[in-house]
Amino acid sequence: MSCDLCDLLDREEEIIYQDNDLVVAVRDSVLSPGQITIFPRKHFTIWEMVPNTILEKCSSWAKKVCVAAFESLGSQGTNIIIRNGVGAGQTAPHFSVEVVPRQEGDGLNLIWEPKPLMEDEIESTFLALKDESGKLVLEEKKYGSRKDEINKINTDSDEKKKDKPGVKEDSSSGEKPKNDLKENYLLKSLRRRP
Amino acid sequence: MSGEQPKLTEQQRQELEEKLKSMSPSELAELQKQQCIFCQIISGKINSQKIYEDDRCLAVLDINPAAKGHILILPKEHYSIMPQIPDKELGHFFIVGRALSQLLLKVLRVSGTNLFIANGSAAGQRSAHFLFHVIPRKEGDGVMEFSEKIISKEMQQKVKTAVGHKLNLLLGVNDPEPETAENEQKHSNQDITELSESKIKPKSTGKISPPTSSKKSTVSKNKPANQTKSQPIPTPEEEANPNNGPKIDLDDIANLFK
Repeated sequence: MSCDLCDLLDREEEIIYQDNDLVVAVRDSVLSPGQITIFPRKHFTIWEMVPNTILEKCSSWAKKVCVAAFESLGSQGTNIIIRNGVGAGQTAPHFSVEVVPRQEGDGLNLIWEPKPLMEDEIESTFLALKDESGKLVLEEKKYGSRKDEINKINTDSDEKKKDKPGVKEDSSSGEKPKNDLKENYLLKSLRRRP
Repeated sequence: MSGEQPKLTEQQRQELEEKLKSMSPSELAELQKQQCIFCQIISGKINSQKIYEDDRCLAVLDINPAAKGHILILPKEHYSIMPQIPDKELGHFFIVGRALSQLLLKVLRVSGTNLFIANGSAAGQRSAHFLFHVIPRKEGDGVMEFSEKIISKEMQQKVKTAVGHKLNLLLGVNDPEPETAENEQKHSNQDITELSESKIKPKSTGKISPPTSSKKSTVSKNKPANQTKSQPIPTPEEEANPNNGPKIDLDDIANLFK
């Protein structure tokens, strides 16, 4: 499976910053000129697979890039966007955080219309979510242990990295991302993409 | 920032100004909290549909949702813009967002989720209380259309150079590149007001495209190949004083590309 973001690792000219955990890059396909993409070096397909340490690092880099965009691109604001899953507009099968610099009147329409919902629809959604919310786990090491599926997917990118000397991934090797039926569905839908 | 103040008479306005001037920063912060609808949701004065809560944030259903199950993550602290949020706390909100995304995928059987952050009014930030949207998505739901466009190599390089240079300054890396006036400003990034003033000044695009050689030496400063451990994210002190921060010899790094 080819991955646009894993491929980008070979294109030094598009990379602003990289270390063992993550990459900050300017992609050639963007929502708006000036967009910066931050992604884990390791191939995590979706948000749910990204371990805490890497995710924290992505967020702090998103903050830095926001400040840098304010000061260097003359942006008046920034959107930070995660597109997680095909339904959410994710294009590459590789988790990323996108920082989109904004100007007043730049014509980018990222604001939604409020969706009118029936009272009972809201209530049933709330109850369903509330019911499951007790099971929210923030520590990825307590997550389920069905790693095989994920490992299988990661092999593709690992193979690519083997011929890159010095790339160490010790920081994330011990993580156990959560994996359940819903995720498998998401992963499959991403893998189906050309 | 709130923009929804009722009309005041001239006298009322003066009295209010006097009062505000006499208040201490902590009293002002308290007043700000009283005025903020999200602070009142957090304190429980206004009812909400709570999905998740911990000591740093509260997650509730949005009352004007983009889609069924649209969740807001509200930091308990009243921040107005993202650079005010400490790294550790910001990371926590992303982790909570991931857990909520997981919840939405599982319970609502949607095919994706967006984390959406609007930082500044030009980006669509509508509330003075900084917050995070987690929105369940299905293909063709029309909630947000992301249309990507291809940009030229020149544009890519301009953005890379400009942002890369600024990032170097933020990290306290000695970056001798263009804009000397900029360099003098590099310590001001923690001060939000100074930041917002300096950001307005747009750059002429010609200015930010130096020759290729210096471009390379500036932007890609950390090659994983020669580092076993990633560079630690500098503390505010390090950012304020680059001399204490990690020093990187740009010549060495430039040679890596040869």
